[in-house]
Amino acid sequence: MKIHRVWGMTLRYIYAFRHNIDKMADAFYWPTIDILLWGLTSTYLTASNPEGGPTAFFVVLSGILLWLIVWRGQGEITMNALEEFWERNLINLFASPLMFREWMASLLALGFVKAMMSFAFAVTLAWFLYAVNLFHLGFLLIPFGLLLIMTGWWFGFLVMGLILRFGRKVQALAWTSIFVISPFSAAYYPLSTLPEWAQAIGKCIPITYVFEGSREVIATGHIDPWKLIISFVLNIVYLTAAGWFLHRSFEKLRERGLEKIN
Amino acid sequence: MSILSVSRLTKQFGTFTAVDDLSFSLKESEILGLLGPNGAGKTTTIQMLLGVLTPTLGAIRYFGKDFAQHREEVLEDVNFSSTYTHLPWGLTVRENLRFISFLYDIDDRPGRIAKIISLFRLEELMNHPLIELSAGQLTRVNLAKAFINFPRVLLLDEPTASLDPEAAKYIREFLLNERSQFNVSIILTSHNMAEVEEVCDRVIFIDHGKMIADDTPAQLARSVETCHVELLIKEGMERAVRYVTERGNAYKTEGKHIIVDVKERDIPGFLRGLMDRGITYDEISIEKPTLEDYFLVVTRTTEANPH
Repeated sequence: MKIHRVWGMTLRYIYAFRHNIDKMADAFYWPTIDILLWGLTSTYLTASNPEGGPTAFFVVLSGILLWLIVWRGQGEITMNALEEFWERNLINLFASPLMFREWMASLLALGFVKAMMSFAFAVTLAWFLYAVNLFHLGFLLIPFGLLLIMTGWWFGFLVMGLILRFGRKVQALAWTSIFVISPFSAAYYPLSTLPEWAQAIGKCIPITYVFEGSREVIATGHIDPWKLIISFVLNIVYLTAAGWFLHRSFEKLRERGLEKIN
Repeated sequence: MSILSVSRLTKQFGTFTAVDDLSFSLKESEILGLLGPNGAGKTTTIQMLLGVLTPTLGAIRYFGKDFAQHREEVLEDVNFSSTYTHLPWGLTVRENLRFISFLYDIDDRPGRIAKIISLFRLEELMNHPLIELSAGQLTRVNLAKAFINFPRVLLLDEPTASLDPEAAKYIREFLLNERSQFNVSIILTSHNMAEVEEVCDRVIFIDHGKMIADDTPAQLARSVETCHVELLIKEGMERAVRYVTERGNAYKTEGKHIIVDVKERDIPGFLRGLMDRGITYDEISIEKPTLEDYFLVVTRTTEANPH
């Protein structure tokens, strides 16, 4: 792995970010809308049901803020990859010494930085508008953030692998599919709220343990460390499998020709 | 010394064979033309040589190394330009060259970019996004990108398509100069036969994925026996037309001119026949066959007998 090539690809996406208003919208506009919409909804619900108290308000907003990391982590991988297909740039990239893993490394690094950027922006906005301070979660924010972005990564790999296999006809998965796991991962409510069959699915999703854990910390100030361990192990298993699937999909595409993605 | 050797290269897409058992080599500082009609397998071959398409069978060796095993190392010294691929549209010329320069192991990137900009006359376009450029300007940017890593082997797919004649001439001279100064070896596809005759040392002709010929442009042209004999008829145009029709020669007329396809060895007899029939002419020009004639003859033959 050559760092200058990873940097070259990172630079390519930074330039694209600078020129592209859609990407700015993904990074700042949608988080702002989410925080405003759900913050106001939570304010209303808290006012109409004071028994729920400030904890319920904090739980919903922390769910929204933490979900941002998953969403941005996945989005950076799939949207940047899609851009290469749309611009027919894959041949330019892979007729150079660039390795597939270097391309992926640039997408992961950029995904991490931009997810953190959007997260920091949204956390500041939530604090400014509603005096909700997510830093109450303390140092646990670090493992939470890492586990959430890992889920964004493997999900991004999976979706990108599917697009490489089946072409642009499934490209909508890039911006829609991540929301499929959202109801099962209990981002805004306890897992026990779901019916049993849905709880079983939720338990297979690594971020469910993060959201459950964050609520545990908000309520009790402590977390069962097994939640973090299970989440990490599941993430590693899925990341390995999705990485393998993505690489196989890329090699399959190379057999058809890199310009044949359509 | 062979810089590139291709052995029994084959690419199948399902039951369709796009490239069929192709073998050739490229010497140091040689310019090799890859010719053939549309769909012959030229672009498929180039894509396999770039590693963006996996061959079904066969081996590619660059600098004595197996390409599949040493892809990363080999591609440091190879580059390409194609009219049919694009760099990212939204990025400026400078941004594109800058990010591409980081994909190669180049010592002085800013210096190299500055040099390339000047060589390809891109100074005024540097801060323009590619989407604002004309087709000719895009071709120059693609060529600039192809030279950014001091390539030892260059693969050029229609390098001068969409350039005006002056810019195309500049690029041809530039390629010849790079070859003589830096021993760059080039594989070039083009539909401009005059350009191929001017710059290529050797030509490989492929059709339906198979190699039909491998020779110098002059030798290939010479293999076509038919010359174009153009006459400015003074008297007897109708008789002249009747005469060439009887002989079975292809011909066309333009005013008082008649252009007749005649085999080189038959020209004296043909001219004697005109004299015998009292057909007189003021001017005569005999055009020897060119690479374009070879191209037309071969493609007509293979269209008639595809296998």
